[in-house]
Amino acid sequence: MMVKHRGGARGLAAALAALAALVAACTSSPAPKPDPTAPPAPTAQAGVLRVLAGSELQDMAPILEQAQKETGVTVQFSWTGSLDGAEAVSGNAADGKYDALWFPSNQYLRLDERSRPKLLSESPVMTSPLAIGIRSSVLGELSWGDGSAVTWGNLAEAAAAGKLNYGMADPSRSNSGFSGLVGVASALSAANSALTDEDVAKATPQLKQFFAGQKLTSGSSGWLTQAYTQAEQGSVGALVNYESVLLTMNKTLPPEQRLTVVRPTDGVVTANYPLTLLSSAQPREQESFRRLTEYLLKEDVQKRISEQTLRHPVAAGVAPAAGVPTDRRRELPFPGSLAVATHLLASYQNELRRPSRTVYVLDTSGSMAGQRLAQLKSAMGRLTGAEDSRGVRRFRDREEVTLISFASKVKSTKTHTVPAGAAAQQELASINADVQALSAEGGTAVYSSLEEAYRVIERQQAAAKDDRFTSIVVMTDGLSNEGVSDQDFKTFRAGLSPALRSVRVFPILFGDAAKTQLQGIADLTGGKLFDGTGSLDGAFEEIRGYQ
Amino acid sequence: MKRAFGVLAALVLLGGVAFALLRPTSHDDKKTTKTVTITGLIGSEKQDFFQDEDVKAELAAQGLIVKTLPVGSWQMVDKLDGQAFAFPASQAPADKIRQNKGITEVVSAPFYSPLVVVAHQATAQALKDSGMAAEDPTTHVWTLRMDAYRDALRTNKTWEQLLGGKPKAELRGNVLMATTDPKDSSSGAMYLALLSSLENGGPVSSDAEVEKVKDLLYTAISKQGEKKQSTDLLFKDFTSGVGRPLSLVYESEAAELVRQQNTLGDMVVLYPDTTIFSAHTLVGLNEDGRKLATLLQNNTKLREAATKHGFRIQGDTKAFGTQFRTQDDSFHLAPNLDQAGINHASIPVYDVLKKLTDYATKP
Repeated sequence: MMVKHRGGARGLAAALAALAALVAACTSSPAPKPDPTAPPAPTAQAGVLRVLAGSELQDMAPILEQAQKETGVTVQFSWTGSLDGAEAVSGNAADGKYDALWFPSNQYLRLDERSRPKLLSESPVMTSPLAIGIRSSVLGELSWGDGSAVTWGNLAEAAAAGKLNYGMADPSRSNSGFSGLVGVASALSAANSALTDEDVAKATPQLKQFFAGQKLTSGSSGWLTQAYTQAEQGSVGALVNYESVLLTMNKTLPPEQRLTVVRPTDGVVTANYPLTLLSSAQPREQESFRRLTEYLLKEDVQKRISEQTLRHPVAAGVAPAAGVPTDRRRELPFPGSLAVATHLLASYQNELRRPSRTVYVLDTSGSMAGQRLAQLKSAMGRLTGAEDSRGVRRFRDREEVTLISFASKVKSTKTHTVPAGAAAQQELASINADVQALSAEGGTAVYSSLEEAYRVIERQQAAAKDDRFTSIVVMTDGLSNEGVSDQDFKTFRAGLSPALRSVRVFPILFGDAAKTQLQGIADLTGGKLFDGTGSLDGAFEEIRGYQ
Repeated sequence: MKRAFGVLAALVLLGGVAFALLRPTSHDDKKTTKTVTITGLIGSEKQDFFQDEDVKAELAAQGLIVKTLPVGSWQMVDKLDGQAFAFPASQAPADKIRQNKGITEVVSAPFYSPLVVVAHQATAQALKDSGMAAEDPTTHVWTLRMDAYRDALRTNKTWEQLLGGKPKAELRGNVLMATTDPKDSSSGAMYLALLSSLENGGPVSSDAEVEKVKDLLYTAISKQGEKKQSTDLLFKDFTSGVGRPLSLVYESEAAELVRQQNTLGDMVVLYPDTTIFSAHTLVGLNEDGRKLATLLQNNTKLREAATKHGFRIQGDTKAFGTQFRTQDDSFHLAPNLDQAGINHASIPVYDVLKKLTDYATKP
């Protein structure tokens, strides 16, 4: 699993913490107040609740600052995706390390029988349904008025007709993506109750139509928002995310980019953000949990939570903040078994979504020799492995994978297409064989090799005339010191067709790579930089959410 | 900086004075009650009661500071290390706890609640129009016809059918109560007790009877998909506007809204015409826990507070009606269940309930 500590994500939080520290210093208090922006310590601390949480909860920082003042309980977060978090809990990785969990929902978590005994007490704090935000120009073209009568079926038809292009987070990692998948599968199969394998099979043709419109995917909803705002005019017209996230985005988006929040009339899946005490928490932390939940459910705090986050309060006497819709939608049931949930994820990855065209540009220069090359082979090899029930790593059925090995120039280009079904294993083994055969020698020509990657994609697109989800990963351990310059690459890219120009590059920082060069590539192409210096396996796995 | 320190010093001094003032009184107390702090696991429906300042004050006067955590009644069974008491929502989990811990004392069941269904007005009206629910013309107490509901379950009836093909807001899909997970929570298991009794024509006891009802129970549970750990989660979903047409919760949770004077717009409380009386049962795990059990059973102030929070007191048929008749009660709680024509089904013994749960939740 991937756990990230994002210290000081919020300026306000940092400022308040600094202020708290100053006050503590002035009153010569011996024990400084715990810092809410610090990552959780490995062992429990007095007055601190160590919480493994979804990054969506970052918007609670101002509320939790106030909670700290009034209850003496400091919340320290570790951020991770909901499904990664669920895996951490079921795999015993949260025991003793965290006192509580806070994700948009515990639904996926509770499907795993190993996780249930780990949860002691759940307290829902607020709710928000999954929705799709649609640009008003797109709504207009589709003649959907204010969007209040749109169904999932309408969305699928519009996507199939090429009139609705949207971004949605990877359902294998993110609760918003998984809720979207459950919602659309339930609605399109016309299931009257909880989804079954038969329902999914029945809805497959329509689901493929819907996912034909998915132009952006990501492991985190934060990047999705950024990618939406930066995407070329008209290329992405909608985002699947929580109502609260979409409403909050609208506060800062320019008018032409604002999103009309559409909650399909045939149903939604709602997140209830339960603050959840782990069974492994000690009595002192149980008491902190008790104090914090009691505080969060006070009427005045509930009101502030709704105003701050644009989610619905759960306290009966509190009205939602202005602008939060109050008319109800059917709550679509969440699958009742892990088997159905994992099968749905596998269907999405291997059958329903647009197939990917994934190009890896891998540095095999002399400096990679030895340990580094071994790490690269391990990281790439893991993507060809079989044991991956949630679909977070393995190259997917139908995926076209190209390996470009480069040093002073491109050394080799090998392309594989993973077939569907039982034959997949053989092709995956063949990809792995190519990976294991890589050898390290020569200089580092990052930009020239990237240009070659674009040319490879151009040839592949021209030959296949297909519509694939296309992206490039570039992994290097050094500075580009041969071939064309970054300026040449910029000029080259500007001359590409719009379709090719929209292909994003996801660089992986490794060894002694030049961060500024790689960040520049990510910024230029709308991709995202991943740091592989800590765990190269982790970086290669995390990027799968964007491919 | 100096001033801040001065204020702090003054506060420390004040605290010392307060401590000095308070200490002798507790020493002089005739009962020489030493206040102890105890923790316990409770069904989520009793949180508001234990957080009530009056309740806290009376318990403190009796020498107890009680801290609670809401946990599903069946979940708490094996999580009681270090706790002074367990307070599940019904007797079966309490019995299981006694059995596990080798506790022979009789447990205390100071109050109980019927299970009710909360819905919005349009939902209740749709049920009424199709004959599945009725509203008493004088008392305005709503009842849900459970035989009709059972038939709807059996025949996979949908809201669309009920509404003549015109779905309305959240009224789509199967006519189906949302309940808690019977593996975790008492009310979910009580739902199985209720349905099995209806299907069997009386409480289920033999294996043959279990066999007879199991398909219906499986339908009622599997169709819901993933279920919540506690009625608090279900009820808070309802109050925040999540669109599940019918949610099975405790009467006390609806009554709590009356106490808070939160009318919640158009909520309707539907009493199943055959329901289950859920007897909140406290198991003391040490001397202090047993003291709490005795207090809840016998202390007048605590019994009054329980009534205020919507619980019905064992052996006192009047208290609830008196409390909720006089208040503005837009949900029309039934002051007297007998008079409202509400029956209740018996609850099978633990072993049978376990079998019913296993069948209903089998993967």
